[in-house]
Amino acid sequence: MELNAGTAGTGSHKTASERDEVAALESLQFTDEIRRLMSAPATDNASSFTALLELPAPQAVQLIHSPDSAKLIAAPAPAPNVDEFKGSFNFPFNSGLIERATRFSLFAGDGSINDNNKSNSPEPTSYNSSANLQKPVKSEPAETESYQPLVSDPTVENRSTKRKDREKVKGSTKKSKTGAKDSSDDAEKLPYVHVRARRGQATDSHSLAERARREKINARMKLLQELVPGCSKISGTALVLDEIINHVQSLQRQVEFLSMRLAAVNPRIDFNLDSVFTAESGSLMDSNFSGMVMPMMLPEVQLNGNRQQYPQQLHFDAFQQPVWGTEEVCNNYITPENSLLSYDSSGNSASLHSNQLKMEL
Amino acid sequence: MRPCDSLKREFLKKWMMGLQSCSSSNKDMSILERKEAIKLSADVAMACARNGATCWSRALIAAGAHSKHGAPREYSNKRIRSKKILKRSCRIRIRRRKRSKCSAQVGRASSISKGLVRQRTRILKSLIPGGESMDEASLVEETLDYITYLRAQVDGMRSLVDASELDR
Repeated sequence: MELNAGTAGTGSHKTASERDEVAALESLQFTDEIRRLMSAPATDNASSFTALLELPAPQAVQLIHSPDSAKLIAAPAPAPNVDEFKGSFNFPFNSGLIERATRFSLFAGDGSINDNNKSNSPEPTSYNSSANLQKPVKSEPAETESYQPLVSDPTVENRSTKRKDREKVKGSTKKSKTGAKDSSDDAEKLPYVHVRARRGQATDSHSLAERARREKINARMKLLQELVPGCSKISGTALVLDEIINHVQSLQRQVEFLSMRLAAVNPRIDFNLDSVFTAESGSLMDSNFSGMVMPMMLPEVQLNGNRQQYPQQLHFDAFQQPVWGTEEVCNNYITPENSLLSYDSSGNSASLHSNQLKMEL
Repeated sequence: MRPCDSLKREFLKKWMMGLQSCSSSNKDMSILERKEAIKLSADVAMACARNGATCWSRALIAAGAHSKHGAPREYSNKRIRSKKILKRSCRIRIRRRKRSKCSAQVGRASSISKGLVRQRTRILKSLIPGGESMDEASLVEETLDYITYLRAQVDGMRSLVDASELDR
């Protein structure tokens, strides 16, 4: 599973690198303009955006490439030109040229991000703080897709088409969480006539935030679609949600049935487990299990025939016995957290246990 | 995505321990009680395998504790209530703004579809443990997590059932 993801990532990265060069070439034309635009201080109005324009340009760039950039653009390999360019690329000034250039840089960024984030351990939560730019909104699927063995190319292309759509939409497409992006956003919009009307309104930041929120949700829905079998062909949120609900319900029902089966199999199953875990540890065992284990020694012999790895397992579990044996004296689930937390600590110590289980699985 | 081996291992490990403690406590229960106990132990094991990093796991643990105690339930209820109040106020605000903004343009179809989506998210919220007090984005994340863990749980349980039936 991880292999697939890796190869998909490298595949896209190869194409990304050639696009990278194109982007670098194009960026040479734009960086000057962008730098000028970004450093142009805004004649401020009352709107919320322009208040954020106070941020000087280098700080803006700094913010854009902040270390939190598991979520941000942060392409490690390419030249700083391309970085800056990518930082400010998503402003719709000359739409045709920009679209092309941005798409290239988008691919470049995504390729490197995919590779980056496969090494990172992606966090499912806490996007609010640092996911600032439009591109990070797209890079989130790249990041979270490292969970899954997705092919990165179709998703990247999806993003490019979405990007085109977004550019046609009014200027209120960006999240307003950082000042940096907004500052450059506004700064470069100022010289251009085709500023959309909505920009100056106070409610704009809300619609921006809502739209960004929408983007986040849609990205995650895509992941869900991949996860649930048979959902990728369906288009439309409602139907996909339907499928997801059915899937979750069926899984829960399966759990119920299986637990019923386990319960019905016999009380023996529980005792077997006890004996399985405690048979060899007769010496170390505390009083609770002794009563139950003794009569069950005999079936345990045949049990060992079927699951050969268990006796070895017992060895290591025996060491864990003293740790949680005493806690189970108070039995029940009085504090499942406490008891299971202690399981955690003991579980860490016996890594070989997991190897044995792996054989069974 | 198939649940990876480490996940299944984790779950099975914890579940074994949970089952033991459970069975050591009451030797003869009715079959339903036993089933509930098994299910509960499986759920809590699953949730602990996540180490409380997700909302649903915390809710599951709280529910597990609640079966013996009343206190955690009150906690979660208060939290849920406060969140509901907050959400209601936000929803009213948003609805007012939306109505003022774009009532005319929005065609019937999109509003219908939005209603459907909203209804389904409500159902999903009821399905996922602890899902009531979550906004949409985190809800989707939680379902992602929850589905993978459910799968791991089902696989683990099934293997255990098979193993036990082999025994016979």
